[in-house]
Amino acid sequence: MNRREPLKSAIEELLDDVDGVLALRSTSGHVAPHLFCGRQELEELAVSPKYSLPATLRLIQAAHPEARLGIVCRGCEERGLIEMAKRNQINLDLVTVIGLACTPEEAEECRCAKPYPSVLVETHVGERAEPVVDQLVEELRQKDVAQRMEFWRKHFDRCIKCYACRNACPQCFCPECTLEEGLWVETGEVPPTYPTFHLIRAMHTAGKCVGCRECELSCPAGIPLTTLYALIREDVREMFGYEPGADLDQQPPLVLPVEVES
Amino acid sequence: MWGPQIVAYACTYCSYPGADLAGTSRIKYSPNVNIIRVLCSGRVSPELILRTFREGADGVLVLGCHYGDCHFISGNHRTAKRVAVLKRVLEYSGIDPNRLRLEWVSASEGARFAQVVDEFTETVRQLEPMERVLA
Amino acid sequence: MVSVGQHENIEILGYSEVEEVGGYVGNFTVKVRKKARYVNADLCTGCGLCQEKCPAKKIPSEFNGGLGTRTAIYMPFAQAIPRVPVIDRDNCRYFREGKCGVCAKLCPRGAVDFKQEDEIVELQVGTILVTTGFDLFDCSRVSQYGYGRYDNVLSSLQLERLVDASGPTRGRIVTKDGQEPKGIAIVHCVGSRDKNYNRHCSRICCMYSLKLAHLVKDSTDAEVYQFYIDMRTGGKGYEEFYERLQEEGVIFIRGRPAEIVPHDGRLLVKAEDANLGRLIQVPVDMVILSAGLEPRHDAEDVARVFGLSRSADGFFLEKHPKLAPVETASNGVFIAGACQGPKDIPDTVAQAGAAAAAAMAMMDRGRVTLEPSIAEVSVKLCSGCGECVVACPYSALKLVDGHVEVEETACKGCGVCVGHCRSKAITVLHFTDEQLLAEMQGALHPLEVA
Repeated sequence: MNRREPLKSAIEELLDDVDGVLALRSTSGHVAPHLFCGRQELEELAVSPKYSLPATLRLIQAAHPEARLGIVCRGCEERGLIEMAKRNQINLDLVTVIGLACTPEEAEECRCAKPYPSVLVETHVGERAEPVVDQLVEELRQKDVAQRMEFWRKHFDRCIKCYACRNACPQCFCPECTLEEGLWVETGEVPPTYPTFHLIRAMHTAGKCVGCRECELSCPAGIPLTTLYALIREDVREMFGYEPGADLDQQPPLVLPVEVES
Repeated sequence: MWGPQIVAYACTYCSYPGADLAGTSRIKYSPNVNIIRVLCSGRVSPELILRTFREGADGVLVLGCHYGDCHFISGNHRTAKRVAVLKRVLEYSGIDPNRLRLEWVSASEGARFAQVVDEFTETVRQLEPMERVLA
Repeated sequence: MVSVGQHENIEILGYSEVEEVGGYVGNFTVKVRKKARYVNADLCTGCGLCQEKCPAKKIPSEFNGGLGTRTAIYMPFAQAIPRVPVIDRDNCRYFREGKCGVCAKLCPRGAVDFKQEDEIVELQVGTILVTTGFDLFDCSRVSQYGYGRYDNVLSSLQLERLVDASGPTRGRIVTKDGQEPKGIAIVHCVGSRDKNYNRHCSRICCMYSLKLAHLVKDSTDAEVYQFYIDMRTGGKGYEEFYERLQEEGVIFIRGRPAEIVPHDGRLLVKAEDANLGRLIQVPVDMVILSAGLEPRHDAEDVARVFGLSRSADGFFLEKHPKLAPVETASNGVFIAGACQGPKDIPDTVAQAGAAAAAAMAMMDRGRVTLEPSIAEVSVKLCSGCGECVVACPYSALKLVDGHVEVEETACKGCGVCVGHCRSKAITVLHFTDEQLLAEMQGALHPLEVA
């Protein structure tokens, strides 16, 4: 179904109340994020492909803390916003979210478990698609320790340490990244030393990763990063009952004490 | 003969005195372990553990206080959660999670410290040297 | 105790419990629950009329080890300070049935107040001394000795009460039916030096058993049989006292009794006399079990409240047996007496003096030396995510202007924040990542020495 027209109307309406709406713009065949401030700009509105808009929103808010802003969010982007808001990176009070549901094709491509927003918005443009089971994660679960080592070694050895995964991730907002710190990851080595680079990144995403897959989509070496992070996300849910991006009031589990039976 | 190299991070108020007690009681235990003292087991970050493996440690032991006994009230709770997640990360990426072990040892458990070290050394001895894994 | 009660600088909070301790050395906030006695301490003169007139008279007296009785409104013991009675709600007719109230009617000062409630008091103190004592081993656990089953098997504490002139028998050592015993057995090490109960030696039992034997010999014609494993009489004049007991005709048998059984209306003690190498059976009228000392039943909870560690035997752990015997791992909290380990009165008084002196010296200095290992934030690396603020067990971190700040006096340096911080924006001085990594690298790659 056509999502562009309803989305355009929704943004037009919102522009009455906010200083700008963050969405995608297509110019000369290239799609990039754009802060739409006037109706006439909406002629160039684009709906896909998916982009990490929450990361851009954070930068805009940092530069203009008083601005009232709108943002178009898919399911994963809404989850990203929630996790960022919990960590004081986004001021949700000044943000209005326009929901955008993904098509079944988009959900399939992303192997997404929840391809529509529902927490910060009640309505969204587009129809809800069915959740998709991640086959790659299931395949990885079936492998034994040696096979997994072989699988990941093959992938991690192709890493060129471009940091695209980190740059694209909405949850990566540290002023200086520890993965660039010689203390933890030896500088001047490509592929980066095994296993520190990727496993530190995996630990950092525990309890934060919302499964938006921007990292995997940005990786020039095509490393299936999100399968690793998805496995950890399932474990965090199983161990601590925590789902990143589901509930604005749920506190990140790793910093809370354990419920101990005496 | 190759002997596994193990680094143990022990907390100042419970596990380190426990290790000390093993020493003063002249209890024998595997010499492969290197004990590094921290104030609380909660100080041990996943980066530190991963870097320890990177340096060639075949096994990493994180030692803290029993629940309720932590000198810093609940520092050990966070350690437990962190290590649990890191073990899964190791498992999913193909590194044997048995290389990382979390144990609670109190200041009076000298014998238990020795037992844990011996058991862990044996477990790690069965696995191949970390150098080969990282190569 | 009376002079303590009258001292102008000492405030006794009797019948009270510490519920919570907050703060740090020099600035502790202690929350105390003053439990309701149902008697107004300001009005009561300690005349004791309420006790005389209370109709609920047959309650077993805890102080007399169950050998005597007390009333529902009672003073725990004769020399109690403050000299104010307490009402035992579970046995008081007013609380149970709404009847009686005689004590309130008769009290010349109107001090009885059935509506009194627990009061919470908050104290600001600089140091804390924990001297919570011990619990006596429950002899009924050693079922083969028949404590609690046979009438004339008593614990050492119960014999102490019989011997006391103000005790339930006015100082007469008699069996349950009022007869003077012809033979008394005293069994050492009940609940001590025993893999089944407590491995430690309770230190005071040999001496108090000798004392009890001496008092028995003094006031009765009974034959005294003392069953021991070793005689631990190290101390000033202690060994000499043991010699004197031998001269007084006490019969010392080296052997731990296996069983005590009723026989012919008396009690039979079955043991091995290890010196003779023979099994013996000794008929007596009364058996006294020298019960050992244990940590108090609530030691675990008390330890948690004050931040104390415990040693393997369950007693509170001193910071160092030689260098800091009365200090604990919690700066500003001291321990003394039997709560640290079994000991007698002279040693307890000495330890208490040491703890008081250490506390006074600390407070007198007016300043406290804090450990230097505390957290430090690098503002430019901090993203202000605030996860460390939640992680801190002492709430020593707070978000200010988009980054974290450390409350230096509250921070204990545990490093939980450092272990968690993904940005590595926070560190603990003297336990920095660089330092720990250097230690680890040094351990894994020792320098080759030719």
